[in-house]
Amino acid sequence: MIVIDPHTEEVRRRQRARARVMGIALAAFVVLIFFVTIAKMKLYGSL
Amino acid sequence: MSRMNSAAIESRTPALPAEWRDFIALTKPRVMVLVVFTGICGLLAAPVAPPPALAFTAILCITVGAGAAGTLNQWYEADIDALMKRTAQRPLPAGRMDRDSALQFGIMLAVLSVVVMELATNWLAATILAASILFYVVIYTMWLKRRTPQNIVIGGAAGAFPPLIGWVAATGTVDPLPLLLFALIFMWTPPHFWALSLFVRSDYAKAGVPMLPVVAGVRATRRQILVYSVLMAAVAVAPWPLGLAGAIYGLTAAVLSAVFILLALATLANKATEPAGMKPEKRLFAFSVLYLFAVFAALVVDKWLIG
Repeated sequence: MIVIDPHTEEVRRRQRARARVMGIALAAFVVLIFFVTIAKMKLYGSL
Repeated sequence: MSRMNSAAIESRTPALPAEWRDFIALTKPRVMVLVVFTGICGLLAAPVAPPPALAFTAILCITVGAGAAGTLNQWYEADIDALMKRTAQRPLPAGRMDRDSALQFGIMLAVLSVVVMELATNWLAATILAASILFYVVIYTMWLKRRTPQNIVIGGAAGAFPPLIGWVAATGTVDPLPLLLFALIFMWTPPHFWALSLFVRSDYAKAGVPMLPVVAGVRATRRQILVYSVLMAAVAVAPWPLGLAGAIYGLTAAVLSAVFILLALATLANKATEPAGMKPEKRLFAFSVLYLFAVFAALVVDKWLIG
């Protein structure tokens, strides 16, 4: 029978939650930079 | 088990990593609301409308920059936060996070906000954003706050930057109207904070922070609140006679400033020295938040309706 230490389980849960938030933030950052680039290209007449 | 053994076990046990919500709490989200709102109003009041993606990014950078300043403030002030009831449950004094994580998070947010602001708008907006973060962290938090009862007067400049940054992000130039908006928040900050510090004065005294009510007393603070309220009212109304804003803004600012001064007078008339009897101070503090929202909203409505 595998016994999971509740402390280790809590550490894993928090690490997973932080990784998920970091992933979402990075994806949002990429999308933001994409739109900034498009807007700047339109502004300076490259598009 | 001996005390040494339990300490040894404790030191072997890894500390729990901070929850992501604690990182959000470091950025002082509630303070940020007013910062973001005044930044949006500064941007919307500008004569030039940037593309929506760039305007959104500029506001996001102001938000993240304010979050960076709040985080670095909490990193530096963890010791005094632990002594005050109002701040003792923040992530650092409550022991839910280590200071290095807060420092790294704050620096990352600061650098990110300034660099992206420069990429999306212009170098002047990015420079003012960087200056506002440095001003809040170095001049206010590290230098003034623990040394002088005038801390909030000079430090208030840090919170006055957002409308200027919003305007500069849209136009690329510094003009008289955003400078007046800067001056308005600069004059608004002392009565706003002193009203609060009057009814939490024992907290500041316990932490050794020389806020005006702690150093100069309750009566002197109430007088100073009135002086700054009158100066603030003059600055708030000024854009109207100067032709920088229309009647909608001018009349709103005049009426709300008159109410602000009346509440400051009620504060001055109050003789209570204990928080329980400080209803006029609590009323002034609550109204001061509403005042800033309403005056800035009036500026935007005025600009969009009258042009």
